[in-house]
Amino acid sequence: MKFTPLEIEGNVNVSQTKPIAEFVWLAGELVLLVVGAYLLLGLATDLLAARIPVAAETWLGSRSLASFHGAANPALDRRLQELISRLPADSPLRRYRFSAHLLESDTVNAVALPGGHILVFSGLLRKVQSENELAMVLAHELGHYVHRDHVRGLGRGLGIAMAAQLLMGSDSSATEFVSRLTLPLFARYSQAQEQAADAFAVDLIRSRFGHAGGASDFFGRLHNEEGESRSYILASHPSPQDRISRISDRIAKRRYPVRPTLPLGRDVLQPKAEKKS
Amino acid sequence: MDILLENMDLIISLGVIMIGYFAGSAAERKHYTSIKKREKETLGFPVVTAEAYFADGRVKESFMVSGSVVISMDYFKRLLGNLRNLFGGRVKAYESLIDRARREAILRMKEEAQMMGGDMITNLRLDTSTLTGSANRRSQIGSVEVIAYGTAVVFNQE
Repeated sequence: MKFTPLEIEGNVNVSQTKPIAEFVWLAGELVLLVVGAYLLLGLATDLLAARIPVAAETWLGSRSLASFHGAANPALDRRLQELISRLPADSPLRRYRFSAHLLESDTVNAVALPGGHILVFSGLLRKVQSENELAMVLAHELGHYVHRDHVRGLGRGLGIAMAAQLLMGSDSSATEFVSRLTLPLFARYSQAQEQAADAFAVDLIRSRFGHAGGASDFFGRLHNEEGESRSYILASHPSPQDRISRISDRIAKRRYPVRPTLPLGRDVLQPKAEKKS
Repeated sequence: MDILLENMDLIISLGVIMIGYFAGSAAERKHYTSIKKREKETLGFPVVTAEAYFADGRVKESFMVSGSVVISMDYFKRLLGNLRNLFGGRVKAYESLIDRARREAILRMKEEAQMMGGDMITNLRLDTSTLTGSANRRSQIGSVEVIAYGTAVVFNQE
């Protein structure tokens, strides 16, 4: 047998494709899938959120409260109950038994947990300077219960976590990349929820104090501290500036009176003092 | 400016993908140029997969030769492969890696045989294995090893 050297033209073992085009195509498909799943899931939770009995929510709430290690706080609770007493008799919030809890943490935040548990972080209390501001924060969290945002958030969050888990099995970097691309969509939704809760809160503190003074003071202070530098495009909450302007719009439109604020009662600040001693 | 700072991780990953794409394609082009050049040079050196039988007295000496190479995928190829893993289909991004590794391993084996005075290689075999764990594991860039081995034969001069 004679060996005949032959030069092979071309290469059948390597596909001649444009990798960039393939990448754009595949990433696009994935984004479409994630967005589709998110919208479907959102629709499902929106349909279900109103139907979940409060009792089921309360059970869920007691479980999630335990995981936060918040302590019941009578001072906050008293203020919360005062707000609730101002609610109209047919308010959907009447189905809940609300309680306020304090959590030692430097985070400036408050959380509406399922089942009517409102968790206030001590970092937020240290920033609050008047009764009206504190009432605004509590009323804002109450506003989330009106639209059952916490249940919706749970549904969407759960779905997203599940989807991430499923995709994570085969890959993490690609999923992360795509989830970053779809983040603005999620942010938009939650920013709308926050604005609705703010609007509810302004109305509530108007009936609590007889005027809407101090409603935006807290955000004003946040805004001054942060300066203009932070970007809020991808944040879950709207920017303080945006919230202030929407709150003042509502106050102006409804012709709510604005009067001086009440200084913050000393009983609220006690937990901090105890911790120091 | 601040939106850049806030999304630093996204920008970094995009940067890494771009580095992967440009550096990876440049390395691939360079490698293919070298492979084609050396294949042309060693074209006359016979390599067969057949188990060869020679007439008595024809073979002076025979020994094993091997050539192996490890080729790593780049970040862009890995991302592309990962995306492909979700949908299924041909992982085209990886084809050129394997092709380069196979051809480079055969070339190295040929070069070794020529260095040792071989006249041809019979019984060529190829084996492959993956290194650095799973190719899809996070923070691990997979690479492929290909080893080519065969029997180099030195003929008696007639």
